[in-house]
Amino acid sequence: MKNRLELSRRSVLQGAGVALGLPWLEAMKAAPASAATGASANPVRMAMLYMPNGVNVPAWTPKGKGRDFELSPTLQPLAALKDRVTLFSNLWNEGAKSGDGHYVKEAAILTCTTIKKTQGADLANGISVDQLAAQRTAGQTPLPSLELGVTPVAIGVDAVVGYTRVYGSHIAWANPSTPLAREINPRSVYERLFRAASGTPVDAAKMDALLLDRVLGDAKQLRGQVGTADRIRIDEYLSVMRSLEERVQRAGSEQKSTWKPKATLDPKAAPVERPKDHAEHVRLMMDMIAVAFQTDTTRVATFMFGNSVSNISFRFLEGVSAGHHDVSHHQKEEDKLRQYHLINRWHVAQYAYLLGRLAEMKEGESTVLDNSMVMFASALSDGNSHNPHNLPIILGGRGGGRIQSGQHIVSIEDSPLANLYVSMLDAFGTPVERFADSTGPLAGLLA
Amino acid sequence: MRLRCAIPLAVLLGCAAPVYAQDQGFARSQSFLKTYCQACHQGSSPVGGFHLDRVSTPASLKAEAAKWGSMARRVHNGEMPPKGAPKPTVDELEQFSQWATQALRAAACAGGIKPGPAPIRRLNRDEYSATIRDLLDIHLDIGSALPADGGGGEGFDNAAETLFLSPIHSEKYMEAAKFATDFAAKEFKSRQKLLIAKPGPGVSEEQAARKILEALLPRAFRQPVPAADVALYVGLFNAARKQGREYEEAVFFAIRGVLVSPKFLFRVEPPNRTAAVQPVGDYQLASRLSYFLWGSMPDELLLDAAASGKLREPAVLKSLVGRMLRNDRSLGFAQRFIEQWLGTRDLVGTKKPDPKLYPMFDNDEELRSDIRLQPVLFFRELLTRDLPVLDLIDSTHTIGTSNLAKLYEVKLPVPRDASKQPRWMELPPNSNRGGILGMPAIMAVSSYPYRTSPVLRGAWILDAMLGTPPPPPPPNVPALEEAKAGAANRTMRQRLADHRANAVCASCHSRMDGLGFALENYDVIGRWRTEDAGQPIDNSGDLGPVHFKGSGELRKVLLDRKDLFVRNLTNKMLGFALGRGLTLEDSCTVDAIVEEVRNNGYRAQALVEAIVLSVPFRYQAPLPVAKPSAVPVPTKVAALQRPGERKE
Repeated sequence: MKNRLELSRRSVLQGAGVALGLPWLEAMKAAPASAATGASANPVRMAMLYMPNGVNVPAWTPKGKGRDFELSPTLQPLAALKDRVTLFSNLWNEGAKSGDGHYVKEAAILTCTTIKKTQGADLANGISVDQLAAQRTAGQTPLPSLELGVTPVAIGVDAVVGYTRVYGSHIAWANPSTPLAREINPRSVYERLFRAASGTPVDAAKMDALLLDRVLGDAKQLRGQVGTADRIRIDEYLSVMRSLEERVQRAGSEQKSTWKPKATLDPKAAPVERPKDHAEHVRLMMDMIAVAFQTDTTRVATFMFGNSVSNISFRFLEGVSAGHHDVSHHQKEEDKLRQYHLINRWHVAQYAYLLGRLAEMKEGESTVLDNSMVMFASALSDGNSHNPHNLPIILGGRGGGRIQSGQHIVSIEDSPLANLYVSMLDAFGTPVERFADSTGPLAGLLA
Repeated sequence: MRLRCAIPLAVLLGCAAPVYAQDQGFARSQSFLKTYCQACHQGSSPVGGFHLDRVSTPASLKAEAAKWGSMARRVHNGEMPPKGAPKPTVDELEQFSQWATQALRAAACAGGIKPGPAPIRRLNRDEYSATIRDLLDIHLDIGSALPADGGGGEGFDNAAETLFLSPIHSEKYMEAAKFATDFAAKEFKSRQKLLIAKPGPGVSEEQAARKILEALLPRAFRQPVPAADVALYVGLFNAARKQGREYEEAVFFAIRGVLVSPKFLFRVEPPNRTAAVQPVGDYQLASRLSYFLWGSMPDELLLDAAASGKLREPAVLKSLVGRMLRNDRSLGFAQRFIEQWLGTRDLVGTKKPDPKLYPMFDNDEELRSDIRLQPVLFFRELLTRDLPVLDLIDSTHTIGTSNLAKLYEVKLPVPRDASKQPRWMELPPNSNRGGILGMPAIMAVSSYPYRTSPVLRGAWILDAMLGTPPPPPPPNVPALEEAKAGAANRTMRQRLADHRANAVCASCHSRMDGLGFALENYDVIGRWRTEDAGQPIDNSGDLGPVHFKGSGELRKVLLDRKDLFVRNLTNKMLGFALGRGLTLEDSCTVDAIVEEVRNNGYRAQALVEAIVLSVPFRYQAPLPVAKPSAVPVPTKVAALQRPGERKE
C-alpha cells in the first residue's frame, strides 16, 4: 500500500510541478537593424488593459472637463503624462446593463454586446474591437495580436449566476463563439515575440508548410465526416492552422516579407518564467506589451489584470488587508473605500508605467506612445452596486497624432462606449461605419 | 434545452413550507404565473416576446421544456418578476420552481432514457500531455506550454463546448510536436517502441517507414487506420526525404505531423446516421473509457478488447473498471476530478492562503503538496478500496503524513522514518478529521486567503457538496448599517447577525451562515482552534429547525441528506465522464445511477460502473436532422442495461 501511494504522489507532483521550457535560442540570428524611416512608416498600435471589479467612484472621478481638468486622487500616477492621456465620463455598454453583476459586463467590455447566459454549450458574445482591428491588419506584422494575463483561466461554472467562467476570463473574442486564450507566462511571451520577430529559416519553413498541408488535409477529410454542429470545431482548427500556414509560406517564400523589426530583441533579456509575486508579474507583462510594440511584432494587445470577480489578495500594498473583489463590495464602509482606492490607484500606476515605457521609446521624431492608443478600463463604475453606468476609462497616447489627448471628455449621460471604439478603429487605420451599438464617432476625440 | 437543476434549497434542506400537493401541482403553477407574470406576459405584444399561453398546458412541460426550465431558474434566482413588480414570497417562489423542476424531469423521463449529445472534443491540456506521454513513451509534461483550458458544463475543463482553439494553440502544437519528437528520437525506450522496423536488405526505406507508421497511426488516432490514410503519412516521410532529410529524421518528421493532426488532437466519433439510438463504436467506447478514467489514450488491452468486439459486454466493462482504477493512471482522474469539483485547484492560485499570515503554507513545499494532495489521494483510496462515497462526508480513515499530523496536532501511529509519505490511516475515535470537511485544502478554498468566512464555507457546502448553490445576491444589496462604534471588536458572528437581521439577506444567509459556523473551529489552513480574536469559538449552527454544534454534528446533518449529496456527485462525475454539460434528459440517467449506487451500499466503484454502463456513455444518439424521427428508446429499467444484457 505504502509503495503505491508513494509512487502516486511522485507522479502527481511531477505532472503538476515541472514546467517545460521549449528550446528557442538555437535559431538566434542577428535581426536587421531598425531602418529609421520617416514618420509615415510609424504604425499605430492599440492596447486594451482591463481591470476587474470597478472603482471607488468619488476617488476616481476627475474634476473639470475639456482641457481644464484635474487628475483625481486615483489618477495621480498619471501626473507626468497628463497631456498624453484622455479621460472619459458617461460612457457605458447598454447591452450589459442587466444580467449578473460581473460576467455580462466584463466579457463584453470590448464587444459591447449582451453575452448569452450559458454554462458553456452555446457561448455567444460579439467580436471584440481589438480583434476586428487585428483581423483587418492581418499579415502586416508577424503576430496579429497578443492576448495576455496574469491569472490562468478561471475554472468551471459560476453556479450561483449560471455563467461559465470562460466569459470572465476573456475579453478578446475572434468571433461571437471563440474567445482567445491568453498567455500568462512572461518568458513564453518573450520567446514567442522573439521567434516571431526572427522569422523561421526558409528551410524550416518549407518543412512546416509540408506538415501543415498534410494536417489540413486530415481536417478537410474529417469535416466531411462529422455532423453540422461539430463542423464548427473543425473550422476553428482549419482557421488557426491556415493562418499559421500563411505565415509559414511568407517566411518560406524567396521574396522577403516587407516587414522589418523596428528594434531587435536580445534573447538574453528573456524574463523569468515564474515571477515572484503579483506586482512583478504585472510589470513583466507591461514590459512585454512595450517590447512587442517597440519591435512592431504586433500592433494589437489585450491584457487582463485579473479575471472577473478576481479576489487577488492586495495585502502586498501597504494599508490593504483584503482581496480585490472583497474590498470592492465596500458597503460604504470608510476603511474599505480607502482600500478600494489604493487598489485602483495601484492599477493606474501599472498603466502609467507602461505609458512611461512607451514614451521613452523613440520612433523618429515621435515616440511609440505618440503612435499608440492604450486603453485602461473597468466594466463597472461602483463595484459595490455593480454599476454599469459612467465606466472608468482612460486612453493613453495620441494614436499617431489623431487623438487630441490631454482632455477630459464628458459625453452626455449613457453614451455608447462603442463610439469610442469607432474612433479608435478610425485612428488605427481600419475605419468602420458602426461597431455594435455605436451611434457615430466619439465627439471631441479625433483631430 | 439545458437546465441547471434549480431545486430550491429550503425544501431540500427541510426548512420550508410544504410542496404543492401532487394532483394540484399544475393548477397551482398556473395560479402562480397568473398572479406574478400575467401582467406583462399576455396580449398581442407580451414583454420579451414571451406569452404565458406557451406554458399553459401540461403538454407544454415537454414541448416547451426549455422555456419552463428558464422560467423556473429565473424565478428561483429572483430575476423574475423584475424590480418594481409585486414579488412572491420566498416560500412561493421556491414551491413554484421546485415543482416545475420536478415536473420537467418527470416529463423528460416519460419518454425513456436518451444518450444525449456527444460533441467532438479537443484533447484538453492534461489529456494532450498524457496522450503524448503514453504514445511516445516519453516522460515530459509537454502540455505545460499550452494555455490552460476553461471549464463548462458541470464545471470541468474537459467539457467539449468550451474547448475552443486560439491561434496560440496552433503555434504551441507545432512547437510541442517538434520538441516531443526530438526528445523521443534521443530516448532509448521511445525508439524501441516507435522504430519497430529499419531499412536493410530486402526492406526499403519506404517499407520500413510504412511499417512504423502502420503501427503508430492506429494508436495515435485510437482506431484502425485505412491503408490509404497511412499512405498519406508515408507521403510526408517521402517529402521530407526529398527535402534532404536523413531517413530517421524523416520518420520522426512524419510522426511530428501525426501529433498535429486533428485526428490526434480531437476525439471524433463517426456520427450515427441511422434513425435509432446505436451503441457507440468499439474503439470510440475504448476512448470514452480511457479518457474518463485515465485522461489518456486506450492501452493495448483496451484496444484489443475493442478489436475483439468484447469491450461492449457489460461484464467486460465492469471488470475493466476495477482494473483501470487500480492502474496508476487513474490518479490523474482522481486529481482532475477532485480538484475541479471541490475547487482545490485554486489552492495554488487565487485561494492561496496569505503568505504573511500563513507562512508555513508558503514556505513549506512538502506541507503544501501534502495539503493539496490529501483530498485527491483520499478519493482515490475510496475508488481503489471500493469504499462508500459517503466517506467523503465522514470517514474512519484519512490520508495522513507527518506534516499533516503536525498541523492537526495529532500523533501519527506510524514509524517515523516512513511518516513523510502519505498513508491511509485510521483516525482516533471522535476525530474531527473524517471525510473532506476539515481537510486543510477544503478549509482553505472555502475561506478568504486571510480569514475564514462562514458565508463562503456555507455556500461552498451548498454548491460543491449538495449541488444546491444559493441564488445570487439581489442586484442592489442594501449596505449594512454603518459600522457602529467599537465594531472592530465584534466577532464575525455578531457582524453576520446584522446581515441576517435584514430580511432580504436573511432568506439565503440563514442557510449559508449556519452551515459555515459549524466549521469555525478550523482556521484558514485547517488548524483546529477554540478561540478567534480572543473570543471563544461559537460553533453552533442551524438550518431551519435543525440545530447542531460543531463539525461532527454538521457531518451528521449532511449524512441525513446523503441522497442530495450522491445525486450531486453523480451529476458531476457523469458530466466529467461525458465531457459535456448535462441536459434535462440526462436527469433520467442520473436518477437511475443514483438508484443503482444506493442499492450497492454507495460503493465508489458501483458509481463508476453505473456511469460506464449508462446509456449516454455507451450509446450514440442519431445525428440531429431537420425533424427528429421517432426513436425507439430504452425503458427506464434499462437505464443501465439494454435488453439482452442482463447481469448475472
